Amino acid sequence: MKVHAPGGQDGGQATAPPDNSDSLASFKEFAGPRGDRYGRTFLRIQQAKLPGYHLNTSALIGGFLWAALRGNWPLFWIGFAADMVAAVNMALVHKYDLAAVQAAADGKDFLVQRYDGWSDAHLQAALILFFAGRLLLGWLADRLYYHHYTRWRINRSLPSGQTIKRLGVGMLAVLLVAPLTIYRASQFAPDQRSCIKLAHMIQDGEQVPLKDRFDCWTISEFPTLVWLQRPPQYSFPRNDDGTRSIVVKEPSSQRPVNLNNWLSEHIDQGIGYMKAFYGWLFDGVTRWIRVLLNAVEAVFVGTPWIVTSLMLVMAAVKLAGSRMGVFTAAVLIYMMLFGFWQTAMSTISLTVAATVICVVAGLPLGIWVAKSKVGAAVVTPALDIMQTIPSFVYLLPAVAFFSVGKPPGILATVIFAMPPMVRLTALGIQHVPASTKEAALAFGASPRQLLLKVELPLALPSIMAGVNQVVMLSLSMVVIAAIIGAGGMGFIVVDALARTQVGRGILAGIGIALIAMMIDRVVQKANRM
Amino acid sequence: MDERQVIEAREVWKIFGERAEEALRAVRQDGLHKAEVLERFGAVVAVRDVDFAVEKGEIFCIMGLSGSGKSTLVRHINRLIQPTHGQILVNGQDMGALSAEELRALRASRIGMVFQNMALLPHRTVRDNIAFALELRNTDPFTCHQSANGLLETVGLAGYGDAMPSELSGGMQQRVGLARALAADPDILLMDEPFSALDPLIRRGLQDEFLVLSRTMDKTTVFITHDLDEAMRLGSRIGIMRDGEMVQIGTPEDIILHPKDGYVADFVQGLSRLKLVFAHRIMERPEIYDKSHGNLADADTWPQAHPKADLNSLVSLIVGQQCPIAIRDNGKLAGIVTKDALLKGIQG
Ligand SMILES: Nc1ncnc2c1ncn2[C@@H]1O[C@H](COP(=O)(O)OP(=O)(O)OP(=O)(O)O)[C@@H](O)[C@H]1O
Ligand SMILES: [Mg+2]
Repeated sequence: MKVHAPGGQDGGQATAPPDNSDSLASFKEFAGPRGDRYGRTFLRIQQAKLPGYHLNTSALIGGFLWAALRGNWPLFWIGFAADMVAAVNMALVHKYDLAAVQAAADGKDFLVQRYDGWSDAHLQAALILFFAGRLLLGWLADRLYYHHYTRWRINRSLPSGQTIKRLGVGMLAVLLVAPLTIYRASQFAPDQRSCIKLAHMIQDGEQVPLKDRFDCWTISEFPTLVWLQRPPQYSFPRNDDGTRSIVVKEPSSQRPVNLNNWLSEHIDQGIGYMKAFYGWLFDGVTRWIRVLLNAVEAVFVGTPWIVTSLMLVMAAVKLAGSRMGVFTAAVLIYMMLFGFWQTAMSTISLTVAATVICVVAGLPLGIWVAKSKVGAAVVTPALDIMQTIPSFVYLLPAVAFFSVGKPPGILATVIFAMPPMVRLTALGIQHVPASTKEAALAFGASPRQLLLKVELPLALPSIMAGVNQVVMLSLSMVVIAAIIGAGGMGFIVVDALARTQVGRGILAGIGIALIAMMIDRVVQKANRM
Repeated sequence: MDERQVIEAREVWKIFGERAEEALRAVRQDGLHKAEVLERFGAVVAVRDVDFAVEKGEIFCIMGLSGSGKSTLVRHINRLIQPTHGQILVNGQDMGALSAEELRALRASRIGMVFQNMALLPHRTVRDNIAFALELRNTDPFTCHQSANGLLETVGLAGYGDAMPSELSGGMQQRVGLARALAADPDILLMDEPFSALDPLIRRGLQDEFLVLSRTMDKTTVFITHDLDEAMRLGSRIGIMRDGEMVQIGTPEDIILHPKDGYVADFVQGLSRLKLVFAHRIMERPEIYDKSHGNLADADTWPQAHPKADLNSLVSLIVGQQCPIAIRDNGKLAGIVTKDALLKGIQG
């Protein structure tokens, strides 16, 4: 912005010093006490003339207290955090010094040495952190304070000047945080087990030292309350006529449990109940997945390798050109040479089966999401959850309801890989221009015709991108599903991990990467052609 | 009801926005302006109490500034838009009372539409675009192919059948849009600035062809245009819109000679009157002429013209003559046009 000096001549002498009185007055109004000093500094910042070594000595010495006084809370937290970490390190020095003395008394020389070493390291860290933190604060202070000023000019309700009240607020924050944190660092915290034992002792009316209680409540694991009645135990034995009955037993112990134990026992019983009374449902799903998988495996695994490999190479050439054909052939040869043929084909079968289910289920879901408000309201949050849960966690419910093997593996894969299919289908349909749909309607298209002749064809690129993602996600999840017995290349890796056969694991890992590259490239090229 | 009325709009209102109903009530009570409604209800009054009727075989042109609600109004006719209030009758049938199925059938077979923005289907070839309406009616592929080829020829795009719309220029796309509208042989055509992207030469050719087509095939057309000359050439009648209102409806001549207000007058200003004003408008009755000149007896020797002759032809007749022109209707002397009257008539 150009500042015109009152009465100054436009286009006059270039040598005339610019009139800064407006800026200076504003700086002073903002800074309050010691306005002259901050005014001069801000002016230099404004003119980009502040030297790189410039330090604010008040901030350097006062640390976070200076920041609190000036109402600059970001600087307060930076300074406080630096000092706090330094203090924690000092507390650790104290803790290990004591421990070393104790160890020396116990005659454990190796421990003395170790504790002394740690103590020295923490001392160095504490000193470095303290001085470096102060230097940083002093260096940052005026620069961030100027930034603070620019925001204050836009919004006058931001803190300005210097007040003792803010210093009080800063001190209060320090008092709340510092003592316990430093205490925590100077003590060996009790673990959760000993705290539970302690709680039981208190329940049984035994005398417990106050310090132990305090430690358990403040510096150990967050104290979970142990107050819930242990739920009774259910079982669902089969009767002679095949029906199931429900048997209730008293809980094994009368001690109360915490929320976690209480709820997980309930979940276990719920799953037991579902399996006992709706087992047919899970069995049915398992059977259908197996039928599909058998059909796919018949193609990939059940056919002689000569036929399958020729077929795959030809498909790659047809879909993605001769270069991809060569690459595919190379990947397949790698599999054959290292004896991964059957396993690789099994992995591909799993991937294909999961992809088929994802597409068949995801496409209509995507259409529903795009077309109906209810659909979007129901499906979108479900997809969000499905995508935030780590892939590993899907294995649990799959095992709980469908036990181990390939069908639950495929099921977990489907849940993991389906979201992009639904999302991209919906996205593709929603992005069909309204004017194009209007034209189709004007010529008498029914909703069905609109979908089939206009919306789906126009959404096709997006849908194919969804399929591509589904394939890649399926492949990665199928590998992980080896943990629950889905077999394939993943199994070799899991097995190699368990037996620390690094070489075998690496070869299988390279194989998986090659398969992924092969599928990805072919599907992408095919989409583009 | 008049048998010949194909399209009839009765008190049609369209207000866009969440609070349309509320806004409608307020507008009808207090007569708010478009800007006031936007401010108070966040709603846009696009069509405001419009009444009009289009007769069979007519070309009804709608004109008006950008944003005056022309496109919105025609979309009511095939019910791409529901009116906030009012009725649209097509062939005496209330469009609002039709079931979804009936509405589809009507759109597919009787109403063709050309869109301002073309709105071709980008994933289909030009030929498949043109045959789209036929395909929706489950016509067999061969018939689709044949009639699409015929229409391509009509709009001068023979040989472009296998191109994709994105490979065509804007004007070519407009012609594809026109062909698509004609494909199902509908008897009502809704055309939203169909020739706006064409060069004058092709435009004129298509206009002529369109005139012939709509006359011989007895099509009823609602035609939106920004081009006054086009409206004058094509329009049996013209409706002029402003801020959603239909300000004036009339024949081209009517509108030129008797503009209802300044807005309409501004609109038609600068238009050549030579071809739109006819002899009967400017002629004097023979008795009156005789009273002032007294040489009516020589009328047989003067140039002769029909009452429907336009000023242009009268000028050609009178150049180099000293005498006036005698206007005869079926041999009977209907009036006299003097040079002075002709000059006045050209001036307007
Ligand atoms: N779908 C819609 N939602 C909200 N407002 C709309 C919508 N369609 C049109 N309008 C508004 O209605 C008014 C009339 O628009 P319309 O498209 O009918 O104008 P037009 O006369 O065809 O203009 P042009 O000559 O530029 O095509 C405009 O103010 C526009 O903003
Ligand atoms: Mg328009």
